[in-house]
Amino acid sequence: MIDRLTCLLCPLGCELEVETAGGRLEVRGHQCDKGLDFASEEVLRPKRNLAASIPVAGTDGRTTAVRLSGRVPREMIFPVLAEIAKLRPAIPVRRGDVLIRDVLGTGVDVIATRTVV
Amino acid sequence: MIRDVDVAVIGGGPAGLAAALGARRAGARVLLLERDDRLGGILNQCIHDGFGLVLYNESISGPEYAERLAEDAVREGIVVETGAMVLDLAAGRTMRVNSRGGYGLVRAKAVVLAMGCRERTRDMIEIPGDRPAGVWTAGTAQNLVNLRNLRIGNEIVILGSGDIGLIMARRLTFEGLRVKGVFEILPWAGGLERNIRQCLFDFSIPLELSTTVIDIRGRERVSSVVVARVDDRLKPLAGTEREIACDTLLLSVGLIPENELSRRAGVVLSPATGGAVVDEMFMTTVPGIFSCGNVLQIHDVADGASLEGFEAGKNAARFARGAVAAREAPAGIAAGAGIKYVLPQIVRRGTAGAGLHFRVAEPRRNVWIEVCGRSSGTTLFRRKYPRLLPSELQRIMVKTAIEEDLEVSAHD
Repeated sequence: MIDRLTCLLCPLGCELEVETAGGRLEVRGHQCDKGLDFASEEVLRPKRNLAASIPVAGTDGRTTAVRLSGRVPREMIFPVLAEIAKLRPAIPVRRGDVLIRDVLGTGVDVIATRTVV
Repeated sequence: MIRDVDVAVIGGGPAGLAAALGARRAGARVLLLERDDRLGGILNQCIHDGFGLVLYNESISGPEYAERLAEDAVREGIVVETGAMVLDLAAGRTMRVNSRGGYGLVRAKAVVLAMGCRERTRDMIEIPGDRPAGVWTAGTAQNLVNLRNLRIGNEIVILGSGDIGLIMARRLTFEGLRVKGVFEILPWAGGLERNIRQCLFDFSIPLELSTTVIDIRGRERVSSVVVARVDDRLKPLAGTEREIACDTLLLSVGLIPENELSRRAGVVLSPATGGAVVDEMFMTTVPGIFSCGNVLQIHDVADGASLEGFEAGKNAARFARGAVAAREAPAGIAAGAGIKYVLPQIVRRGTAGAGLHFRVAEPRRNVWIEVCGRSSGTTLFRRKYPRLLPSELQRIMVKTAIEEDLEVSAHD
């Protein structure tokens, strides 16, 4: 399978072609070693941050927002979202509050990104 | 009652907050006027990360970015008024303001315009068909979902591949809605590549280029839309129509700088950007009125709007204390072959180290960007780019002093 992607690490924006065949990975189009690492991570074990908004208890429908303190493997997006959906933090919520520590053992936290007081 | 200030900033989003800080740090007494109940502007509803990479060297969300700037503004002694709407701005820099305290006048030695932009609507792109509920601009949907915690529908079609539409495709997928496809009339995507990958590709949401919505159907609520491929003049091709069942259509078809106040003040606007014509200090054609952020030109990233704001605010403070000489017969900077626009459009003669923003008119590979003197033919800047996209705002610097009209052009 051939995957085409643009390296996002610097403004050069190398257009990479990553071929995966028989467990081997071949990267073409990169102009530095960082591009090689970028391509293999993006194709083999892509990581993502994610964000959602959640209602704050004790308000008339105001929301806070959350994101992760770091990226998680892409396949963890929906399991983590399911954990976030259970959250009903009470007012006051402050930017940076940890709402779930080490969510699902991923090593990253779910943190509030909007202060609601 | 007339209130006198050194610098008044209109709009408290990423550009206006930065402009207020820039002016304050340059020693001015600053009044920041924001129409909404809170500072931050569009940042408040942009809960995804990716903000702050330039300003803070980390990737944070829009609300965090807004709160940091707003905290700086208050701590550094900027007078902030939310719920304050500027009704009129005169060339003499007097504003009629409707605020929490009632109606009043503000007179400023310098004004920074930072009102941001609005989204293009269904009417502006003239989609025919029924007029049911369920048609929203992507940013309105973002507001309803992220700030009001509402569910906007079940099955979504998105017209336009602007960044807000791409971000919303992912956001709605997270909320359990089904995004059936993103359709783009142009042969290339409008949004940034990382958004296409992380918002569409990750969730197998199809992106169809050279395709548009030609009909909206439904009585009370949208029941389907009809899409068709277009030819190279963007006209729908007969026989390619396809009906897609959905209850919601989101539009992400461009942003328009919100320049009503600028026009009232007599500021000359550029048809290419929809924003003011400015010089290298971000001063408009009206002395003492500056412009920055999305009201000046549409930015791809908020940090870019803020950088422009800091600069405009600092220069407004200099103008307010009389440290800016009158601008006489500036050199013009024109967009030549392959360039959609260049900003600033005018530059004081003798300026060295001028930063020029530009966008290419269409995607280009292995392209030379050149800045040439129009009368002398001298090349002031030349650089080869492996690839340039219209979706990416570029900035170059002309180190040598500018003494004549210039043209920026793209060549293979």
